[in-house]
Amino acid sequence: MTTQIREPVRSLAHPARARVWAMSKRNMLVQSRNPGHWFLLLVLPLVDGLLFGSIGVAFGEGEAPVRLLVTGVMLFHLIWQITLAGSLGLLEEVWSRNLMNLIATPLTEREFLGALGLVGLLRTMVSVSVIALVGLGFYSVAPDSAGWVLVPGAAILLLFGWAITLFVIGLTLQYGDSAEVFSWGTLVLIMPLSGVFYPVDSLPAILQPIAEVIPLTRVFAAVQEGLDTGAIAWDQLAIAAVGTLIALALATWFVDHQMSRFRRLGWITRFT
Amino acid sequence: MPRVAAMVETAPMDSGATEAVRPGDAEPTDDQIDPSLVLHARDLRKSFEDTVAVDGVSLAVHPGERVGIVGPNGAGKTTTLLMLLGAIEPDSGTVDLVGQRLPDGRGEAMARVGFAAGYIPLPERMTVRETLDLFGTLYGLAEADAAADQVLEELGIPHLAKQRCDSLSSGQGTLVGFAKAVIHQPELIVLDEPTASLDPDVAMRVRDRLEVMNTEHNATLLLTSHDMREVERLTTRVIFLRAGRIIANGPAEEVVEEAGYPDLETMFLAEASRLRTTEV
Repeated sequence: MTTQIREPVRSLAHPARARVWAMSKRNMLVQSRNPGHWFLLLVLPLVDGLLFGSIGVAFGEGEAPVRLLVTGVMLFHLIWQITLAGSLGLLEEVWSRNLMNLIATPLTEREFLGALGLVGLLRTMVSVSVIALVGLGFYSVAPDSAGWVLVPGAAILLLFGWAITLFVIGLTLQYGDSAEVFSWGTLVLIMPLSGVFYPVDSLPAILQPIAEVIPLTRVFAAVQEGLDTGAIAWDQLAIAAVGTLIALALATWFVDHQMSRFRRLGWITRFT
Repeated sequence: MPRVAAMVETAPMDSGATEAVRPGDAEPTDDQIDPSLVLHARDLRKSFEDTVAVDGVSLAVHPGERVGIVGPNGAGKTTTLLMLLGAIEPDSGTVDLVGQRLPDGRGEAMARVGFAAGYIPLPERMTVRETLDLFGTLYGLAEADAAADQVLEELGIPHLAKQRCDSLSSGQGTLVGFAKAVIHQPELIVLDEPTASLDPDVAMRVRDRLEVMNTEHNATLLLTSHDMREVERLTTRVIFLRAGRIIANGPAEEVVEEAGYPDLETMFLAEASRLRTTEV
Protein backbone atom coordinates (compact mmCIF):
# COMPACT_ATOMS: atom_id res chain seq x y z
CA MET A 1 0.00 0.00 0.00
CA THR A 2 1.50 3.31 -1.04
CA THR A 3 -1.31 5.73 -0.32
CA GLN A 4 -0.27 9.34 -0.37
CA ILE A 5 -0.34 10.79 3.11
CA ARG A 6 -1.89 14.21 3.52
CA GLU A 7 -0.94 16.44 6.37
CA PRO A 8 -3.74 16.73 8.90
CA VAL A 9 -4.54 20.20 10.19
CA ARG A 10 -2.74 20.88 13.44
CA SER A 11 -2.74 24.05 15.51
CA LEU A 12 -5.40 23.76 18.15
CA ALA A 13 -5.86 27.23 19.60
CA HIS A 14 -6.12 25.95 23.19
CA PRO A 15 -4.65 22.44 23.25
CA ALA A 16 -4.77 22.05 27.04
CA ARG A 17 -8.44 23.03 27.17
CA ALA A 18 -9.18 20.72 24.25
CA ARG A 19 -7.46 17.83 26.00
CA VAL A 20 -9.48 18.37 29.18
CA TRP A 21 -12.68 18.44 27.13
CA ALA A 22 -11.66 15.36 25.13
CA MET A 23 -10.96 13.41 28.31
CA SER A 24 -14.21 14.63 29.87
CA LYS A 25 -16.05 13.42 26.78
CA ARG A 26 -14.27 10.07 27.03
CA ASN A 27 -15.28 9.69 30.67
CA MET A 28 -18.88 10.58 29.90
CA LEU A 29 -19.01 8.16 26.97
CA VAL A 30 -17.52 5.34 28.98
CA GLN A 31 -19.75 5.95 31.98
CA SER A 32 -22.90 6.39 29.90
CA ARG A 33 -22.27 2.99 28.30
CA ASN A 34 -21.80 1.23 31.61
CA PRO A 35 -25.15 0.30 33.18
CA GLY A 36 -23.53 0.26 36.60
CA HIS A 37 -22.86 3.99 36.37
CA TRP A 38 -26.51 4.74 35.53
CA PHE A 39 -27.51 2.76 38.59
CA LEU A 40 -25.18 4.81 40.77
CA LEU A 41 -26.17 8.06 39.11
CA LEU A 42 -29.96 7.75 38.96
CA VAL A 43 -31.31 4.67 40.72
CA LEU A 44 -29.36 4.89 43.95
CA PRO A 45 -30.20 8.58 44.53
CA LEU A 46 -33.84 7.77 43.79
CA VAL A 47 -33.81 4.90 46.26
CA ASP A 48 -31.95 6.95 48.89
CA GLY A 49 -34.37 9.86 48.46
CA LEU A 50 -37.35 7.57 48.94
CA LEU A 51 -35.75 5.67 51.80
CA PHE A 52 -34.71 8.65 53.88
CA GLY A 53 -37.81 10.66 53.01
CA SER A 54 -40.05 7.84 54.15
CA ILE A 55 -38.05 7.25 57.33
CA GLY A 56 -38.48 10.97 58.11
CA VAL A 57 -42.21 10.74 57.60
CA ALA A 58 -42.59 7.48 59.53
CA PHE A 59 -40.53 8.26 62.61
CA GLY A 60 -40.49 12.02 62.84
CA GLU A 61 -42.95 14.55 64.10
CA GLY A 62 -43.75 17.44 61.84
CA GLU A 63 -41.74 18.50 58.82
CA ALA A 64 -38.35 18.95 60.45
CA PRO A 65 -37.11 15.31 60.39
CA VAL A 66 -38.03 14.71 56.76
CA ARG A 67 -36.41 18.00 55.76
CA LEU A 68 -33.23 17.05 57.62
CA LEU A 69 -33.04 13.56 56.16
CA VAL A 70 -33.77 14.57 52.56
CA THR A 71 -31.34 17.50 52.73
CA GLY A 72 -28.74 15.26 54.37
CA VAL A 73 -28.95 12.54 51.74
CA MET A 74 -28.85 15.17 49.00
CA LEU A 75 -25.59 16.55 50.41
CA PHE A 76 -24.24 13.04 50.91
CA HIS A 77 -24.71 12.36 47.20
CA LEU A 78 -23.14 15.69 46.35
CA ILE A 79 -19.86 14.62 47.88
CA TRP A 80 -20.16 10.92 47.02
CA GLN A 81 -20.72 11.42 43.30
CA ILE A 82 -17.67 13.64 42.82
CA THR A 83 -15.58 11.10 44.69
CA LEU A 84 -16.95 8.25 42.60
CA ALA A 85 -16.41 10.07 39.30
CA GLY A 86 -12.79 10.78 40.15
CA SER A 87 -11.75 7.45 41.53
CA LEU A 88 -13.75 5.34 39.08
CA GLY A 89 -12.49 7.51 36.22
CA LEU A 90 -8.93 6.40 36.92
CA LEU A 91 -10.02 2.84 37.60
CA GLU A 92 -11.70 2.71 34.17
CA GLU A 93 -8.29 3.46 32.62
CA VAL A 94 -6.71 0.78 34.80
CA TRP A 95 -9.36 -1.80 33.92
CA SER A 96 -9.05 -1.16 30.20
CA ARG A 97 -5.23 -0.95 30.47
CA ASN A 98 -5.35 2.42 28.78
CA LEU A 99 -2.93 4.30 31.01
CA MET A 100 0.11 3.76 28.79
CA ASN A 101 -1.84 4.96 25.75
CA LEU A 102 -2.60 8.19 27.63
CA ILE A 103 0.90 8.62 29.02
CA ALA A 104 2.25 8.48 25.48
CA THR A 105 0.37 11.68 24.59
CA PRO A 106 0.86 15.31 25.65
CA LEU A 107 -1.91 14.90 28.25
CA THR A 108 -0.67 16.17 31.61
CA GLU A 109 -1.62 14.83 35.01
CA ARG A 110 -3.35 18.11 35.83
CA GLU A 111 -5.45 17.90 32.66
CA PHE A 112 -6.35 14.30 33.42
CA LEU A 113 -7.49 15.28 36.92
CA GLY A 114 -9.31 18.34 35.57
CA ALA A 115 -11.40 16.14 33.30
CA LEU A 116 -12.27 13.84 36.20
CA GLY A 117 -13.32 16.87 38.24
CA LEU A 118 -15.57 18.19 35.48
CA VAL A 119 -17.32 14.87 35.07
CA GLY A 120 -17.64 14.64 38.83
CA LEU A 121 -19.41 18.00 38.94
CA LEU A 122 -21.79 16.88 36.21
CA ARG A 123 -22.54 13.63 38.03
CA THR A 124 -23.14 15.58 41.21
CA MET A 125 -25.60 17.89 39.50
CA VAL A 126 -27.58 14.98 38.05
CA SER A 127 -27.65 12.95 41.21
CA VAL A 128 -28.53 15.85 43.50
CA SER A 129 -31.28 16.88 41.09
CA VAL A 130 -32.83 13.41 41.30
CA ILE A 131 -32.98 13.60 45.10
CA ALA A 132 -34.22 17.18 44.99
CA LEU A 133 -37.06 16.10 42.71
CA VAL A 134 -37.90 13.14 44.95
CA GLY A 135 -37.92 15.41 48.01
CA LEU A 136 -40.04 18.03 46.34
CA GLY A 137 -42.40 15.64 44.57
CA PHE A 138 -43.05 13.09 47.28
CA TYR A 139 -42.33 14.83 50.58
CA SER A 140 -42.81 18.53 49.81
CA VAL A 141 -39.25 19.28 50.88
CA ALA A 142 -37.77 22.16 48.93
CA PRO A 143 -34.12 21.51 48.00
CA ASP A 144 -33.18 24.91 49.45
CA SER A 145 -34.90 24.33 52.80
CA ALA A 146 -31.70 25.06 54.69
CA GLY A 147 -31.35 28.44 52.98
CA TRP A 148 -28.18 30.19 51.83
CA VAL A 149 -25.96 28.04 54.03
CA LEU A 150 -26.19 25.46 51.27
CA VAL A 151 -24.04 27.57 48.94
CA PRO A 152 -20.85 27.73 51.04
CA GLY A 153 -21.70 24.33 52.53
CA ALA A 154 -21.89 22.67 49.13
CA ALA A 155 -18.65 24.33 48.05
CA ILE A 156 -16.84 22.97 51.11
CA LEU A 157 -18.33 19.52 50.58
CA LEU A 158 -17.19 19.48 46.95
CA LEU A 159 -13.67 20.47 47.95
CA PHE A 160 -13.57 17.83 50.66
CA GLY A 161 -14.89 15.27 48.15
CA TRP A 162 -12.08 16.26 45.79
CA ALA A 163 -9.54 15.75 48.57
CA ILE A 164 -10.86 12.22 49.07
CA THR A 165 -10.73 11.66 45.31
CA LEU A 166 -7.06 12.66 45.17
CA PHE A 167 -6.31 10.38 48.09
CA VAL A 168 -8.02 7.42 46.38
CA ILE A 169 -6.26 8.21 43.09
CA GLY A 170 -2.94 8.13 44.92
CA LEU A 171 -3.79 4.69 46.30
CA THR A 172 -4.99 3.45 42.90
CA LEU A 173 -1.68 4.42 41.28
CA GLN A 174 0.04 2.10 43.72
CA TYR A 175 -2.44 -0.72 44.19
CA GLY A 176 -4.40 -0.68 40.92
CA ASP A 177 -7.62 -2.69 40.99
CA SER A 178 -7.17 -3.50 44.66
CA ALA A 179 -7.80 0.15 45.54
CA GLU A 180 -11.35 -0.05 44.19
CA VAL A 181 -12.77 -0.59 47.64
CA PHE A 182 -11.48 2.83 48.69
CA SER A 183 -13.40 4.57 45.93
CA TRP A 184 -16.63 3.16 47.35
CA GLY A 185 -15.73 2.83 50.95
CA THR A 186 -13.85 5.93 52.07
CA LEU A 187 -16.94 8.11 52.31
CA VAL A 188 -19.00 5.29 53.75
CA LEU A 189 -16.50 5.25 56.61
CA ILE A 190 -16.54 9.00 57.07
CA MET A 191 -20.22 9.76 56.70
CA PRO A 192 -21.55 8.00 59.82
CA LEU A 193 -19.03 9.97 61.86
CA SER A 194 -19.89 13.35 60.41
CA GLY A 195 -23.45 13.83 61.59
CA VAL A 196 -25.22 13.88 58.25
CA PHE A 197 -28.51 12.74 59.68
CA TYR A 198 -28.08 13.22 63.43
CA PRO A 199 -26.12 15.38 65.86
CA VAL A 200 -22.68 13.98 66.69
CA ASP A 201 -23.61 13.68 70.37
CA SER A 202 -25.81 10.78 69.25
CA LEU A 203 -22.64 8.85 68.47
CA PRO A 204 -20.98 6.61 71.06
CA ALA A 205 -18.83 8.79 73.32
CA ILE A 206 -15.61 7.18 72.13
CA LEU A 207 -16.29 8.27 68.54
CA GLN A 208 -17.34 11.83 69.25
CA PRO A 209 -13.81 13.30 69.40
CA ILE A 210 -13.11 11.75 65.98
CA ALA A 211 -16.31 13.23 64.60
CA GLU A 212 -15.33 16.67 65.88
CA VAL A 213 -12.18 16.81 63.75
CA ILE A 214 -13.86 15.80 60.50
CA PRO A 215 -14.62 19.00 58.54
CA LEU A 216 -17.86 17.53 57.20
CA THR A 217 -19.27 17.45 60.73
CA ARG A 218 -19.10 21.26 60.87
CA VAL A 219 -20.79 21.61 57.50
CA PHE A 220 -23.66 19.37 58.50
CA ALA A 221 -23.97 21.17 61.82
CA ALA A 222 -24.26 24.45 59.91
CA VAL A 223 -26.87 22.95 57.61
CA GLN A 224 -28.80 21.70 60.63
CA GLU A 225 -28.78 25.22 62.03
CA GLY A 226 -29.88 26.58 58.68
CA LEU A 227 -32.80 24.15 58.67
CA ASP A 228 -33.75 25.04 62.24
CA THR A 229 -33.32 28.82 62.19
CA GLY A 230 -32.53 29.91 58.66
CA ALA A 231 -29.28 31.46 59.95
CA ILE A 232 -25.83 30.83 58.52
CA ALA A 233 -23.42 29.42 61.10
CA TRP A 234 -20.31 31.12 59.74
CA ASP A 235 -18.20 29.92 62.66
CA GLN A 236 -18.91 26.27 61.84
CA LEU A 237 -18.35 26.90 58.14
CA ALA A 238 -15.06 28.66 58.81
CA ILE A 239 -13.74 25.72 60.83
CA ALA A 240 -14.95 23.35 58.10
CA ALA A 241 -13.24 25.44 55.41
CA VAL A 242 -9.92 25.45 57.25
CA GLY A 243 -10.11 21.70 57.87
CA THR A 244 -11.01 21.08 54.23
CA LEU A 245 -8.12 23.19 52.97
CA ILE A 246 -5.75 21.22 55.18
CA ALA A 247 -7.22 17.95 53.89
CA LEU A 248 -6.91 19.21 50.31
CA ALA A 249 -3.27 20.23 50.84
CA LEU A 250 -2.44 16.82 52.32
CA ALA A 251 -4.26 14.98 49.51
CA THR A 252 -2.50 17.09 46.86
CA TRP A 253 0.86 16.34 48.43
CA PHE A 254 -0.02 12.63 48.60
CA VAL A 255 -1.09 12.35 44.97
CA ASP A 256 1.99 14.30 43.80
CA HIS A 257 4.18 12.00 45.88
CA GLN A 258 2.47 8.91 44.44
CA MET A 259 2.80 10.19 40.87
CA SER A 260 6.48 10.76 41.44
CA ARG A 261 6.83 7.19 42.78
CA PHE A 262 4.77 5.95 39.81
CA ARG A 263 7.42 7.29 37.41
CA ARG A 264 10.43 6.47 39.57
CA LEU A 265 9.45 2.90 40.46
CA GLY A 266 8.07 2.06 37.01
CA TRP A 267 4.56 1.27 38.24
CA ILE A 268 3.28 1.78 34.69
CA THR A 269 4.46 -1.75 33.92
CA ARG A 270 1.75 -3.02 36.30
CA PHE A 271 -0.89 -1.49 34.06
CA THR A 272 0.27 -2.66 30.62
CA MET B 1 35.34 -0.61 11.24
CA PRO B 2 31.77 -1.86 11.54
CA ARG B 3 30.04 -0.35 14.50
CA VAL B 4 29.36 -3.69 16.15
CA ALA B 5 33.07 -4.37 16.45
CA ALA B 6 33.65 -0.91 17.83
CA MET B 7 30.93 -1.45 20.39
CA VAL B 8 32.27 -4.75 21.61
CA GLU B 9 35.77 -3.36 21.84
CA THR B 10 34.88 -0.15 23.58
CA ALA B 11 32.22 -1.52 25.85
CA PRO B 12 33.05 -4.87 27.36
CA MET B 13 30.44 -6.34 29.67
CA ASP B 14 32.07 -5.11 32.84
CA SER B 15 32.62 -1.56 31.67
CA GLY B 16 30.46 1.52 32.12
CA ALA B 17 28.01 3.06 29.72
CA THR B 18 27.43 1.61 26.29
CA GLU B 19 26.58 3.85 23.40
CA ALA B 20 24.65 3.57 20.20
CA VAL B 21 25.58 6.51 18.03
CA ARG B 22 26.34 6.56 14.36
CA PRO B 23 29.92 6.75 13.22
CA GLY B 24 30.91 10.36 12.88
CA ASP B 25 28.50 11.64 15.53
CA ALA B 26 29.97 14.42 17.63
CA GLU B 27 30.43 13.62 21.29
CA PRO B 28 27.44 15.10 23.08
CA THR B 29 27.71 17.30 26.09
CA ASP B 30 25.34 16.61 28.95
CA ASP B 31 23.84 20.06 29.29
CA GLN B 32 22.98 20.69 25.64
CA ILE B 33 20.16 19.47 23.48
CA ASP B 34 21.45 18.47 20.07
CA PRO B 35 18.88 19.85 17.61
CA SER B 36 20.06 17.54 14.85
CA LEU B 37 18.85 14.47 16.74
CA VAL B 38 15.29 13.21 17.06
CA LEU B 39 16.20 11.16 20.08
CA HIS B 40 19.23 11.41 22.28
CA ALA B 41 19.64 9.34 25.42
CA ARG B 42 22.77 9.57 27.54
CA ASP B 43 23.94 6.95 30.00
CA LEU B 44 20.51 5.72 31.04
CA ARG B 45 20.45 3.54 34.10
CA LYS B 46 17.53 1.95 35.86
CA SER B 47 17.27 -0.62 38.61
CA PHE B 48 14.21 -2.11 40.24
CA GLU B 49 15.12 -3.13 43.77
CA ASP B 50 18.11 -5.46 43.26
CA THR B 51 17.61 -5.97 39.53
CA VAL B 52 19.51 -3.85 37.06
CA ALA B 53 17.18 -3.38 34.08
CA VAL B 54 19.16 -0.83 32.08
CA ASP B 55 22.84 -0.31 32.67
CA GLY B 56 24.27 2.74 30.96
CA VAL B 57 22.53 2.89 27.60
CA SER B 58 23.27 5.84 25.33
CA LEU B 59 21.78 6.26 21.91
CA ALA B 60 21.43 8.94 19.28
CA VAL B 61 18.85 8.73 16.52
CA HIS B 62 18.82 11.06 13.51
CA PRO B 63 15.76 12.21 11.58
CA GLY B 64 14.58 9.61 9.12
CA GLU B 65 16.51 6.75 10.68
CA ARG B 66 14.88 3.36 11.21
CA VAL B 67 16.26 1.83 14.35
CA GLY B 68 15.41 -1.51 15.91
CA ILE B 69 16.09 -2.35 19.54
CA VAL B 70 16.38 -6.08 19.94
CA GLY B 71 17.40 -8.59 22.54
CA PRO B 72 15.94 -11.52 24.41
CA ASN B 73 13.35 -11.12 27.16
CA GLY B 74 14.81 -9.28 30.11
CA ALA B 75 17.41 -7.48 28.00
CA GLY B 76 15.92 -4.12 28.95
CA LYS B 77 14.11 -3.18 25.74
CA THR B 78 10.77 -2.17 27.21
CA THR B 79 12.30 -0.35 30.20
CA THR B 80 14.51 1.56 27.77
CA LEU B 81 11.53 2.45 25.57
CA LEU B 82 9.47 3.57 28.57
CA MET B 83 12.31 5.79 29.76
CA LEU B 84 12.66 7.26 26.27
CA LEU B 85 8.94 8.12 26.40
CA GLY B 86 9.14 9.60 29.89
CA ALA B 87 6.85 6.98 31.43
CA ILE B 88 9.65 5.76 33.70
CA GLU B 89 12.17 8.09 35.29
CA PRO B 90 15.76 6.89 34.90
CA ASP B 91 17.93 6.57 38.00
CA SER B 92 20.49 8.56 36.08
CA GLY B 93 21.06 9.81 32.56
CA THR B 94 19.17 12.19 30.31
CA VAL B 95 16.68 11.87 27.46
CA ASP B 96 16.17 14.52 24.78
CA LEU B 97 13.11 13.76 22.70
CA VAL B 98 12.42 15.75 19.48
CA GLY B 99 14.38 18.65 20.91
CA GLN B 100 12.88 18.58 24.39
CA ARG B 101 14.65 17.50 27.57
CA LEU B 102 12.57 15.10 29.65
CA PRO B 103 10.78 15.24 31.97
CA ASP B 104 10.10 19.00 31.71
CA GLY B 105 9.54 19.03 27.96
CA ARG B 106 7.56 15.78 27.86
CA GLY B 107 4.21 17.36 26.97
CA GLU B 108 5.57 19.30 24.05
CA ALA B 109 7.65 16.36 22.85
CA MET B 110 4.80 13.85 22.94
CA ALA B 111 2.78 15.93 20.48
CA ARG B 112 5.41 14.94 17.92
CA VAL B 113 5.81 11.30 18.93
CA GLY B 114 3.53 8.35 18.26
CA PHE B 115 3.56 5.17 20.32
CA ALA B 116 1.89 1.82 19.87
CA ALA B 117 2.47 -1.54 21.47
CA GLY B 118 0.96 -4.76 20.25
CA TYR B 119 0.26 -5.85 23.82
CA ILE B 120 -1.65 -2.75 24.95
CA PRO B 121 -5.38 -2.87 24.25
CA LEU B 122 -7.48 0.04 23.10
CA PRO B 123 -9.88 1.82 25.46
CA GLU B 124 -13.06 -0.08 26.16
CA ARG B 125 -16.60 1.12 25.50
CA MET B 126 -15.57 3.46 22.69
CA THR B 127 -15.81 3.06 18.94
CA VAL B 128 -12.72 3.11 16.78
CA ARG B 129 -13.60 6.54 15.44
CA GLU B 130 -14.24 7.96 18.91
CA THR B 131 -10.92 6.54 20.06
CA LEU B 132 -9.01 8.06 17.17
CA ASP B 133 -10.84 11.35 17.64
CA LEU B 134 -9.84 11.32 21.32
CA PHE B 135 -6.18 10.63 20.67
CA GLY B 136 -6.05 13.03 17.73
CA THR B 137 -7.29 15.79 20.04
CA LEU B 138 -4.84 14.77 22.77
CA TYR B 139 -2.05 15.08 20.21
CA GLY B 140 -3.28 18.57 19.34
CA LEU B 141 -5.04 18.07 16.01
CA ALA B 142 -7.60 20.77 15.30
CA GLU B 143 -9.69 18.46 13.14
CA ALA B 144 -9.14 15.14 14.81
CA ASP B 145 -12.31 13.59 13.43
CA ALA B 146 -11.22 14.25 9.84
CA ALA B 147 -7.74 12.94 10.63
CA ALA B 148 -9.35 9.79 12.08
CA ASP B 149 -11.27 9.14 8.87
CA GLN B 150 -8.14 9.80 6.87
CA VAL B 151 -5.88 7.40 8.75
CA LEU B 152 -8.54 4.67 8.69
CA GLU B 153 -8.85 5.13 4.94
CA GLU B 154 -5.10 4.98 4.47
CA LEU B 155 -4.83 1.77 6.45
CA GLY B 156 -7.71 0.26 4.49
CA ILE B 157 -9.96 -0.14 7.51
CA PRO B 158 -12.67 2.54 7.19
CA HIS B 159 -15.28 -0.20 7.83
CA LEU B 160 -14.06 -0.46 11.43
CA ALA B 161 -14.88 3.17 12.24
CA LYS B 162 -18.16 2.50 14.04
CA GLN B 163 -17.09 -0.74 15.67
CA ARG B 164 -16.44 -0.80 19.40
CA CYS B 165 -12.74 -1.25 20.23
CA ASP B 166 -13.51 -4.08 22.65
CA SER B 167 -15.18 -6.05 19.87
CA LEU B 168 -12.20 -5.97 17.51
CA SER B 169 -10.11 -9.04 16.79
CA SER B 170 -6.59 -8.83 18.17
CA GLY B 171 -5.22 -8.14 14.70
CA GLN B 172 -7.76 -5.38 14.08
CA GLY B 173 -6.99 -3.94 17.51
CA THR B 174 -3.27 -3.84 16.73
CA LEU B 175 -4.02 -2.11 13.44
CA VAL B 176 -6.22 0.52 15.11
CA GLY B 177 -3.56 0.95 17.81
CA PHE B 178 -1.14 1.69 15.01
CA ALA B 179 -3.60 4.17 13.48
CA LYS B 180 -3.79 5.88 16.88
CA ALA B 181 -0.01 6.19 16.95
CA VAL B 182 0.32 7.80 13.53
CA ILE B 183 -2.88 9.88 13.29
CA HIS B 184 -0.90 13.08 13.95
CA GLN B 185 1.92 12.36 11.49
CA PRO B 186 4.55 12.14 14.23
CA GLU B 187 8.21 12.84 13.63
CA LEU B 188 9.17 9.84 15.73
CA ILE B 189 7.17 6.62 15.75
CA VAL B 190 7.94 4.30 18.67
CA LEU B 191 6.58 0.81 18.27
CA ASP B 192 6.83 -2.04 20.75
CA GLU B 193 6.08 -5.32 19.00
CA PRO B 194 4.13 -3.51 16.26
CA THR B 195 2.95 -6.48 14.23
CA ALA B 196 2.40 -8.99 17.01
CA SER B 197 -0.82 -10.94 16.42
CA LEU B 198 -1.29 -9.56 12.91
CA ASP B 199 -1.98 -11.78 9.92
CA PRO B 200 0.92 -11.67 7.46
CA ASP B 201 -1.01 -9.56 4.94
CA VAL B 202 -2.08 -7.04 7.60
CA ALA B 203 1.45 -6.95 9.03
CA MET B 204 2.67 -6.19 5.54
CA ARG B 205 0.18 -3.31 5.31
CA VAL B 206 1.56 -1.85 8.54
CA ARG B 207 5.14 -2.23 7.33
CA ASP B 208 4.25 -0.60 4.01
CA ARG B 209 2.63 2.30 5.81
CA LEU B 210 5.70 2.73 8.01
CA GLU B 211 7.91 2.77 4.96
CA VAL B 212 5.71 5.40 3.32
CA MET B 213 5.84 7.57 6.42
CA ASN B 214 9.57 7.13 6.60
CA THR B 215 10.40 7.77 2.96
CA GLU B 216 7.84 10.44 2.15
CA HIS B 217 7.71 12.27 5.47
CA ASN B 218 11.11 11.50 6.90
CA ALA B 219 9.44 10.01 9.99
CA THR B 220 11.93 8.33 12.28
CA LEU B 221 11.16 4.79 13.42
CA LEU B 222 12.21 3.19 16.67
CA LEU B 223 10.88 -0.27 17.23
CA THR B 224 11.31 -3.42 19.20
CA SER B 225 10.25 -6.77 17.90
CA HIS B 226 10.84 -10.45 18.43
CA ASP B 227 10.39 -10.96 14.69
CA MET B 228 13.97 -10.62 13.47
CA ARG B 229 12.98 -10.78 9.82
CA GLU B 230 10.72 -7.82 10.39
CA VAL B 231 13.54 -5.95 12.10
CA GLU B 232 15.88 -6.72 9.20
CA ARG B 233 13.31 -5.51 6.71
CA LEU B 234 12.14 -2.40 8.53
CA THR B 235 15.27 -1.00 10.09
CA THR B 236 18.51 0.43 8.84
CA ARG B 237 20.22 0.06 12.20
CA VAL B 238 19.96 -2.50 14.97
CA ILE B 239 20.81 -1.96 18.61
CA PHE B 240 21.29 -5.28 20.36
CA LEU B 241 20.78 -5.32 24.12
CA ARG B 242 21.98 -7.85 26.61
CA ALA B 243 21.32 -7.51 30.34
CA GLY B 244 20.51 -3.82 29.99
CA ARG B 245 23.59 -2.98 27.94
CA ILE B 246 24.23 -2.42 24.27
CA ILE B 247 26.41 -5.15 22.85
CA ALA B 248 26.08 -4.28 19.18
CA ASN B 249 24.95 -1.34 17.10
CA GLY B 250 24.88 -1.03 13.34
CA PRO B 251 23.19 -2.23 10.17
CA ALA B 252 21.76 -5.71 10.74
CA GLU B 253 24.02 -7.37 8.19
CA GLU B 254 27.13 -5.87 9.78
CA VAL B 255 26.00 -6.76 13.28
CA VAL B 256 25.47 -10.41 12.45
CA GLU B 257 28.61 -10.63 10.35
CA GLU B 258 30.79 -9.23 13.10
CA ALA B 259 29.19 -11.47 15.68
CA GLY B 260 29.72 -14.47 13.43
CA TYR B 261 26.12 -15.43 12.78
CA PRO B 262 24.39 -16.01 9.45
CA ASP B 263 21.45 -13.78 10.28
CA LEU B 264 19.81 -11.76 13.02
CA GLU B 265 17.42 -14.52 14.04
CA THR B 266 20.25 -16.95 14.68
CA MET B 267 22.06 -14.31 16.69
CA PHE B 268 18.91 -13.60 18.68
CA LEU B 269 18.36 -17.30 19.40
CA ALA B 270 21.99 -17.69 20.46
CA GLU B 271 21.67 -14.75 22.84
CA ALA B 272 18.43 -16.13 24.29
CA SER B 273 20.06 -19.51 24.75
CA ARG B 274 23.08 -17.86 26.38
CA LEU B 275 20.76 -16.03 28.76
CA ARG B 276 18.96 -19.24 29.72
CA THR B 277 22.29 -20.95 30.39
CA THR B 278 23.39 -18.03 32.56
CA GLU B 279 20.14 -18.14 34.51
CA VAL B 280 20.49 -21.87 35.13
